[in-house]
Amino acid sequence: MSHLRDLQLRFQDYLIDGSEAIEQDIISTENAIAEHRLGTYYNAYRIRLIDCLAVDYSALEKYLGREAFENMALDYLKHFPSSHPSVRWFGENLPTYLRDIYNGKEAEFLEEMARYEWAQTTVFDAADSTHLLQLEDMAAVPADAWPGLTLKFKPALLWLDLFWNVPLIEDALDSGTEVPQKQREDFPRRWMLWRHELKIQWRSLEVHEAWAIEQAASGANFAAICEGLLEWIDEQQVALVAAGFLKQWVSDQLVLNLDND
Amino acid sequence: MTQPSDKPFLGFGLGLRAEHYQDILERRPKNIDWFEVLSENYMIDGGKPLYFLDAIRQDYPMVMHGVSMSLGTTDEIDFEYLKQLKALIERIEPRWFSDHLCWTGVDHKNMHDLLPLPYTEEAINHVAERISRVQDFLGQQMLIENLSSYITYCEDAMPEWEFLAAIADKADCYLLLDVNNIYVSSYNHHYDPVEYLAGVPVDRVWQHHLAGHTNDGNLIIDTHDHDIIDPVWALYEETAKRFGPVSTMIERDGNIPELDQVLAELDQARRIAEPYYQA
Repeated sequence: MSHLRDLQLRFQDYLIDGSEAIEQDIISTENAIAEHRLGTYYNAYRIRLIDCLAVDYSALEKYLGREAFENMALDYLKHFPSSHPSVRWFGENLPTYLRDIYNGKEAEFLEEMARYEWAQTTVFDAADSTHLLQLEDMAAVPADAWPGLTLKFKPALLWLDLFWNVPLIEDALDSGTEVPQKQREDFPRRWMLWRHELKIQWRSLEVHEAWAIEQAASGANFAAICEGLLEWIDEQQVALVAAGFLKQWVSDQLVLNLDND
Repeated sequence: MTQPSDKPFLGFGLGLRAEHYQDILERRPKNIDWFEVLSENYMIDGGKPLYFLDAIRQDYPMVMHGVSMSLGTTDEIDFEYLKQLKALIERIEPRWFSDHLCWTGVDHKNMHDLLPLPYTEEAINHVAERISRVQDFLGQQMLIENLSSYITYCEDAMPEWEFLAAIADKADCYLLLDVNNIYVSSYNHHYDPVEYLAGVPVDRVWQHHLAGHTNDGNLIIDTHDHDIIDPVWALYEETAKRFGPVSTMIERDGNIPELDQVLAELDQARRIAEPYYQA
């Protein structure tokens, strides 16, 4: 191991866990001894990454309060020190941490809050889509082509399944309005997030739309989706309902293009 | 490799910050000559940051400034990072790109801080070789920036300016001389900042940074969250005397004020430096 590498490892060990071996390498002066000088880096490391986490998880910070959030963030930093060149990715493992390691109360609820906020970050800077399908493009599809239709969705779209009403709580925390009571459902509800132009949009999906969009995203054609929807919808209505979903997704600017399998 | 024959002078610029995106697009101020953008903020797939970057790029020259190249680390060079940087360079065609003379982590960890190197021959050889490889990969010369630092190492064998100049010479790269950083480090390590300037080769310096900082009583911390103080303006005047026309910009990263307040500081930089440019 090179001398320089050895020095860097000693310095980094100090930043991560306070190992004091590096102090012997640092010059002390009258106005600032080595310990104080090094402490500037030790503190800055923690403050910088806690602040970064607080930006990505602003609703979680508001919910927990600054002190509890900082304590949680410090423990997260110990378990998941950053390895990516961009600090944008530092918070990526917070939902995992809250699910598997966090020792506080409400872990399931907090994990869902974190997962929902990270989903917003993901949608925020997902790839742009310059050409999106419009309703008039749908009107041009011949009737006999509908059964084989498949869809391609834009990248700035995702969904996640949550037991708790965290989107409503986070929206209230972000906007400063009255925060609704926490509520847990017996079965998870699917929430869809997407970016329209530069703004993040979201809504919850009924179980049959949740199923349909997942099938459509995985390549199922219109006929297969109609067949699957029979579990919830009468045969006479099913094509209308499926077409209604498609129309809604196109109106929401979610669909890149149609294809025919 | 790109080898411009003359030192380009872009004038007086600002660090592009999200807080000012809308204002800049609406007003397109004429007294900002160029912008410096933080590379890592735009090494993403899409969305708002890239939208504003592209829109503002249409009206202003840009340079790119990175914080994560970690030129001094003893880990291997991160070519995945360099590929993303290259893609961004191709997207916005900056006049140049820069990063810091530092390391940011080792053993595949990132402390997201600009950590100082020891001023030794070993470090000169190590960093210069890595800069050369980066420049070869990206097909152009880069600028490296001097740090604000709060420590020095017992093993330092030369002053910082000799270390900086030796690396620039050995790697054949240019320098982004941060005037505030010289002031901060000279305060923290008790040397004469004008002596620092005298030790830096004039032809290598292509860009200056100016910024504010925080004094904790014993050390000055490079926080970029205050206005530029008078001693830094005075040092900038000395810098203009020695280096002549050098593209200068102001960095503001905390307590970010309205755009007009930063523009007032930029006008002050103009008033200080331009008399020496005409001499």
